[in-house]
Amino acid sequence: MQSAERRADKNKTKNEPWRDPHAEAYVRIDNITKRFGDFVAVNNVSLKIYKGEIFCLLGGSGCGKSTLLRMMAGFEEPSSGAIFLDGQDMAGIPPYRRPVNMMFQSYALFPHMTVEKNIAFGLEQEKGLSSADIATRVTDILEIVKLGQFAARRPHQLSGGQKQRVALARSLVKRPKLLLLDEPLGALDKKLREATQFELINIQEQLGVTFIVVTHDQEEAMTLASRIGVMNRGEIVQIGTPTEIYEFPQNKFVADFIGSVNMFEGTMIEDLPDRVRIKSDELGGVIYVDHGISAAPGAIVYTAIRPEKINILRAQPAETHENCVKGVVKDIAYMGDVSIYLVRIETGKVVRVTLPNVERMSDDERIGWEETVWLTWHGSSPVVVTQ
Amino acid sequence: MKTHGWFSKTALALGFAFLYVPILSMIFYSFNYSKLVTVWDAARSPTLKWYGALFHDNMVLRAAWLSIEVAALSATGAVILGTLAGLVLSRFGPFRGRALLQGLTTAPLVMPEVITGLSMLLLFTALEPLLLNWFGYTLNRGISTITIAHITFTMAYVTVVVQSRLSSFDDSLEEAALDLGARPAKVFFRITVPLILPAILSGWLLAFTLSWDDLVVTQFVSGPGSNTLPMVIFSRVRLGVSPVVNALATIMVLIVALGVVLSAVFMRRQEQRRKREEQMAATG
Amino acid sequence: MKTAGRNVASRDSLGRLGPLWSIFFRFGPPRWSQYVINNWGGQRLVIALPYLWLLVFFLIPFLIVLYISFAGPAPEESKLPYAPVATWIRDVVTQNEVGTQFKLLFTSYDYLIHDPLYVSAWGYSIKLAAVSTLFCLMVGYPMAYAISRSSPTMRNIFLMLVILPFWTSFLLRVYAWIGLLKANGVINNTLMWLGIIDTPIGMMNTTFAVYIGIVYSYLPFMILPLYSNLEKHDNTLLEAANDLGAGPIRSFLRITLPLSKDGIVAGSLLVFIPAVGEYVIPTLLGRTDQLMIATLLYNEFDRNRQWPTACAVAIAMLLVLIVPIMIFQHFQNKELKAGRK
Repeated sequence: MQSAERRADKNKTKNEPWRDPHAEAYVRIDNITKRFGDFVAVNNVSLKIYKGEIFCLLGGSGCGKSTLLRMMAGFEEPSSGAIFLDGQDMAGIPPYRRPVNMMFQSYALFPHMTVEKNIAFGLEQEKGLSSADIATRVTDILEIVKLGQFAARRPHQLSGGQKQRVALARSLVKRPKLLLLDEPLGALDKKLREATQFELINIQEQLGVTFIVVTHDQEEAMTLASRIGVMNRGEIVQIGTPTEIYEFPQNKFVADFIGSVNMFEGTMIEDLPDRVRIKSDELGGVIYVDHGISAAPGAIVYTAIRPEKINILRAQPAETHENCVKGVVKDIAYMGDVSIYLVRIETGKVVRVTLPNVERMSDDERIGWEETVWLTWHGSSPVVVTQ
Repeated sequence: MKTHGWFSKTALALGFAFLYVPILSMIFYSFNYSKLVTVWDAARSPTLKWYGALFHDNMVLRAAWLSIEVAALSATGAVILGTLAGLVLSRFGPFRGRALLQGLTTAPLVMPEVITGLSMLLLFTALEPLLLNWFGYTLNRGISTITIAHITFTMAYVTVVVQSRLSSFDDSLEEAALDLGARPAKVFFRITVPLILPAILSGWLLAFTLSWDDLVVTQFVSGPGSNTLPMVIFSRVRLGVSPVVNALATIMVLIVALGVVLSAVFMRRQEQRRKREEQMAATG
Repeated sequence: MKTAGRNVASRDSLGRLGPLWSIFFRFGPPRWSQYVINNWGGQRLVIALPYLWLLVFFLIPFLIVLYISFAGPAPEESKLPYAPVATWIRDVVTQNEVGTQFKLLFTSYDYLIHDPLYVSAWGYSIKLAAVSTLFCLMVGYPMAYAISRSSPTMRNIFLMLVILPFWTSFLLRVYAWIGLLKANGVINNTLMWLGIIDTPIGMMNTTFAVYIGIVYSYLPFMILPLYSNLEKHDNTLLEAANDLGAGPIRSFLRITLPLSKDGIVAGSLLVFIPAVGEYVIPTLLGRTDQLMIATLLYNEFDRNRQWPTACAVAIAMLLVLIVPIMIFQHFQNKELKAGRK
């Protein structure tokens, strides 16, 4: 998660245009709906995306993110609503006339052309470029994606990562106003994916192109995005920076979708502007939250606590009446850098806890199976949502 | 893969024997001196006498040339129309009359030839007075009518070949080209066609063979003086065996066999080269 | 390529044709052609070309056949071999056209159903086609099965060997059988030389010869769809069956055979439908006393010059085959849809 922190820092110094109510959106999606017969793929979605952002549409399969992307590219017409790019209405404009380029999930490299020709193809469609210009731009972009010596190769002679970079170069060489990326890192293996994530961000910053990335991989979204739009069943469920999405989900779906979470259903027993207490039968105890939440009196609320924010204690702590529960360790997964503990509490529910392996310990020093433990967390850790 | 059982081996051996013994026998007896073809004249055979006769047989030679002309024209026409039809049916969205087009393009595949032949002849007969009165054009039944008829029924095969090839690869390549700024016509010629070229070529060959070989439809729509090779062969073999036909058959079989083997070898080489390059890329 | 929006054609979309237009029309294409291009350019033109061709040269001829099948037999004085179906009625007094009178005659169809020659021909053709298809299946299935079980290299060679005869002339291949089957043909000569028989067996001009001819000519059409289906079978299914105790014959009957149903149907239809209307094979190899439908059609047309009857035969043949043809089209579509995924 290094890059996420780096970006957070950068954002503090860079302006965050979405916070400025007077900022002009570069891409404006107004009430877009797309129907295929009776099926509504995209349901009344509105978005504002600002210049220079990397905006991620995150969601599971069938949530409508790819359809939304294709409408931006021009391969589908919205059933209703409008898409504006840099102030221009894109209605009725076919894909070959939009200042938008797309990087396809399968890369879609032309197998009968060399890398050079693949990249030059887009430039050849533009008027007013001499072949010398085209050659220069192709060479330049090849340098940027570090594929200089592969110019004469054909796609089947390239590895997966190299193909991906050619696809990227091919779309970027046209200097589009907007680049759409459909699951860009999906086909790469883990190590390559991590390296490519950082490279993508660097290239984006270098060229200043606005990216819209569609992905189902939360890690990808969290690393790449300046902002994430979580989608479910054709609707945008929450928009925010990675930190906001992770730490402050606004509903159960987002809380559950991103990372893992322990969810406890309960009712509020104390509702004050600066603190809240929730009684949860699922937990078998009281949850104390150190900030106020807005909910109707007596409403059912859901408390989400992230696994890494829970402590495991082998001895009973002094205060046990709230933010504390007793349980038995049911399962342990040792992941190398962290260990995941599945703890069954008295109500029968299994709580997931993640602990970093801070010290090297021998097996008998570590917490073991069937051990009785106490789980505690800080009052700032829970996130309460009402839906 | 399970190893070959005796059953499989026998089935294949018998089956291929069944397929090839007639052809081989035809070739064998083309070298027989006797006019009776199947009665081997040991004293004066084998001989190339009938091959000589073949090359002096003007009727056969003229008919062969006409057949080649018609087949080449038909194949080219069929490929153009069939590729367009295949493109429309696999890539275009729904439009009014799509189902009818689908039906029209695949019906000739199974339609008995007598019906196709009869219907086309009736069309030409009906058109004759119209063309004469409106355009002053005399429609002679010959190479033009035969070509039109052949194009009509061979394009179905081309459509099927092209359509199945297009269906099997997704259109993200074409979308990528559109996205990069190429207009649909350009995408078709620079991206789609090169990629389906093997299918188009095999469609051309298929149409050529079907046209070259066609008898029934041709008999209906041809006129006096336009005899294709199948028509000549047919009229001769109705009366019995003819050694010149054996010679002709041998030549044709050899040409076809050569073509099939060469293309298979060529394709294998391509495959192997591709595989090697892909492996190099994956490791390198 | 499904593009968004209508095909908005404009002068620049004419692309390279642009300059050509300028030669013909000094200030660019005139408004009417602009309209044509706007509404009919691009996709519609592409659709129109094959569509129009097929309409004119396939559908309309067929409609003509239908039309004539309802005509009466040729009247004495007319040059046409049929009586017109529609006659324009002229009012005797005013000499103006009053309308058209249609005289649909079902005499031809009636004839087809009742004439003994035709009745026997229908039965014979269908029976012969069905039996040939069955034989073809019995020969082709084991071959397709064996090929699908072979190693990839051998598979390609076998397929090539199956396809090779298809590329050689159909007519010549049927001719080859004349040489084999006739009285002093190869088979009889060999059998007599071996001393197995004394007098030649009469094989030419029999139903048996037609069976052989059809099976021989259509075998590749049976093998290829069967192979294509069998090749897609998952071998692990058979392994699971074996693991559960089923022997090779049982697993074949209960797993492979049912799964290859689609291939069997496709291959059989590809043989049966054209076989019903076969003309060449029965003419060269078949009986002279019992004719098939296609031969009757040809005779009706060529010798008797009875066009209405010939057309009625054609329509009747189509009606008989319409159900198998539709089943075939249905299977074609299924294959294509499966290929897409």
